[in-house]
Amino acid sequence: MTQASRVKKLTDSVAHIEISPPRLQWMGHSRQWGTRVKKGEHGLRLGDLNVGIYGEIPQHWEDQSRRPRGAADLPGMPPLPYHLRSKHQIWADSAADLYEEAIQHRWIPATDIPWSELSALPDDVERAMCQVLTELMQAANAELESITYWQEQMSYGYHEVKQFLAVAALTCARHIDAFRKRCLANGGGLGLESRGRMNRAILESRGGWTEAVVYIYLLRGFYIQNQYRLLLAHAHNAAEREIFANCLADHSRHMSYALDHLKYAITQQDGQAAVIQTLLSLGESTLARDIREPVQRSALAVVFGGGVEGGRQEGMATWHTMVRQSIHDYLDACEWLGIKRNMIQRRLNALLPPDEQLVPPERG
Amino acid sequence: MNDAPDLELDTAWMERMGEWGTTAQPGKRGLTLEDIRIGRYGELPEESDNMSGRPRGAAERPEAFRIGGYTVRSKREIWLENATFLYEEALQRQWSSATDIPWETIEPLPDDLEEAECALCTFFNEVEFVAGDVPARWVANISPDFFEARNVLLAQVQDEARHMDVFRKRALANGGGLTRVTGATSGFVGSIDLSRDFTEMSSRMHVSGEGAVLSMFRMGELVGQNPAEKRMYRLCAQDEARHVAFGIMHLRYLHATAPDRHEEIEAYLDEAENLSLTGGTNPAGPQAETSEALAILLGGGKQHYDEGFRILLAIRKRQLKEYMQRVKSAGFGERFENGRSPVPGRIAALS
Repeated sequence: MTQASRVKKLTDSVAHIEISPPRLQWMGHSRQWGTRVKKGEHGLRLGDLNVGIYGEIPQHWEDQSRRPRGAADLPGMPPLPYHLRSKHQIWADSAADLYEEAIQHRWIPATDIPWSELSALPDDVERAMCQVLTELMQAANAELESITYWQEQMSYGYHEVKQFLAVAALTCARHIDAFRKRCLANGGGLGLESRGRMNRAILESRGGWTEAVVYIYLLRGFYIQNQYRLLLAHAHNAAEREIFANCLADHSRHMSYALDHLKYAITQQDGQAAVIQTLLSLGESTLARDIREPVQRSALAVVFGGGVEGGRQEGMATWHTMVRQSIHDYLDACEWLGIKRNMIQRRLNALLPPDEQLVPPERG
Repeated sequence: MNDAPDLELDTAWMERMGEWGTTAQPGKRGLTLEDIRIGRYGELPEESDNMSGRPRGAAERPEAFRIGGYTVRSKREIWLENATFLYEEALQRQWSSATDIPWETIEPLPDDLEEAECALCTFFNEVEFVAGDVPARWVANISPDFFEARNVLLAQVQDEARHMDVFRKRALANGGGLTRVTGATSGFVGSIDLSRDFTEMSSRMHVSGEGAVLSMFRMGELVGQNPAEKRMYRLCAQDEARHVAFGIMHLRYLHATAPDRHEEIEAYLDEAENLSLTGGTNPAGPQAETSEALAILLGGGKQHYDEGFRILLAIRKRQLKEYMQRVKSAGFGERFENGRSPVPGRIAALS
């Protein structure tokens, strides 16, 4: 059927209806007509659209409606509860690029992981892997619950960030999906639930999105990142390698946004660095308790050591190296952000080798 | 105080794990969430008491903090039978607005057509904002015991972000720009924001709101002026159909498991039908600004407005029929037979 005959068939039954003339009151209201963005080498990207008024990202976005940035206003719109309306509260220059990258690097646990490559592991190693993944599932769950809690409060003046976080939340769900599948596909099961201290700190961080970012990413993010790194290095088969390589890439993207945002917040908002410093002083103790918690620590050591026996020495030594690296990564990031950490909370400090500790341990 | 870490290996937890010996096998579509619904891991509670956020089937820890704060804990409040399918399909059908749309096929259009297309893109931006914000709000309120349904909502939030993105790209790619907002999200669509119950929200957003928008996306073959726009609408329709399916399947589950809520659901449908589908706030309805833009695009210019509007009326009739079919499929079709619904009358008026 041709287009013309389809149209005729469609309209025959309504041919008798009289059509009122259009009012066209919506025409002629564009704030900037004549915009013609061309696609580049990587397609037509979100960041490419930031031209003319469409690229003017205000320090404060008063509008509490769903007006897209650059669209003309309609007076009298009732406000919606967008509480985050200042750029320093959510912004990161990299958000648009990270959004496009996340879309391009999407993966599918069901079909992109070579599940047939899984092979039976010794019972203690299987148990340890399943325990590690159970805790990581809860960490990803806290991340996505925190993101989605804040997402709807973010103003549309900064849509790039909202879009990036929309992808980030689904990415967390994808990690949970992949970890659950791994646990249930190789003769094991799920482990013991997390004690949940850091998850609690993250979910109870309700003062602002920036504060949540401090706990999810700056404070705990490197610990999670290094777990993925080490789990990738100790993967038992191609399926696990693929899972951890993808999770590492995804998590690193989230970390990029977080550090970019924190840098922006600190440089644009007086007193922000001091607030973050206080939050870290409080949070470091919680993180240290989570890191030292025997279940996840031992499960990681068993994976790294190739079993309970290897876990006691080699595995625990690897765990210690991983923790040390995580703390150094964290301190480096703090330095880059300009947040003073001349001292860190003593329980966290004690996880560093004696010659690397920032303050000497207290004498009994 | 001794802060040195205890590096002893603890293995007591090995005896405190969830059900052991599970070996899910991948099927034709890989290893899907449906494939791992086995043993205790596949058992969904009618009422979830999981307030610590543990993954379903993980062993409980008495000292775990009650950090969840979940308000949606009844299976009937959230569940749908095909959640795993919709989630896996959503992952399989993700697309990129940067590279999957043939932007090079866009050619300059006469001003009236360009402005109509840009008005529509501005409107779709507003609408997709709602459909992204609202499900995101509910995710953290839903018990992770029902994570399959949560995952579908998270996929929707990402879909809507991409829709907003693609419509913004189209508005700025062809010599036009964004136009004036319609305010539609403060009227009918805005009322989705007000829902205090998940099913109320879902019936408003998925069934009525997105159902109406889906019909508009499906006009893409007629509205689109070039391959880029046709593909844009086609891909958006594919995503939107999944969101509508979520709402229908959830209503169907609720219909089967919660007869005490039937009348309440009927009341939501009454509101939707009177306010949106047959009233002035239907974006394809007779009085909406978007209808004028659609008519210009369907007719091929302002000079063919009447012709375009007639096509729109025919499509609107189809929109209402599609809505009826969905509601019947959810189990609430009696309203179209007993005179409660105004929809059959509206269809008759268009015939």
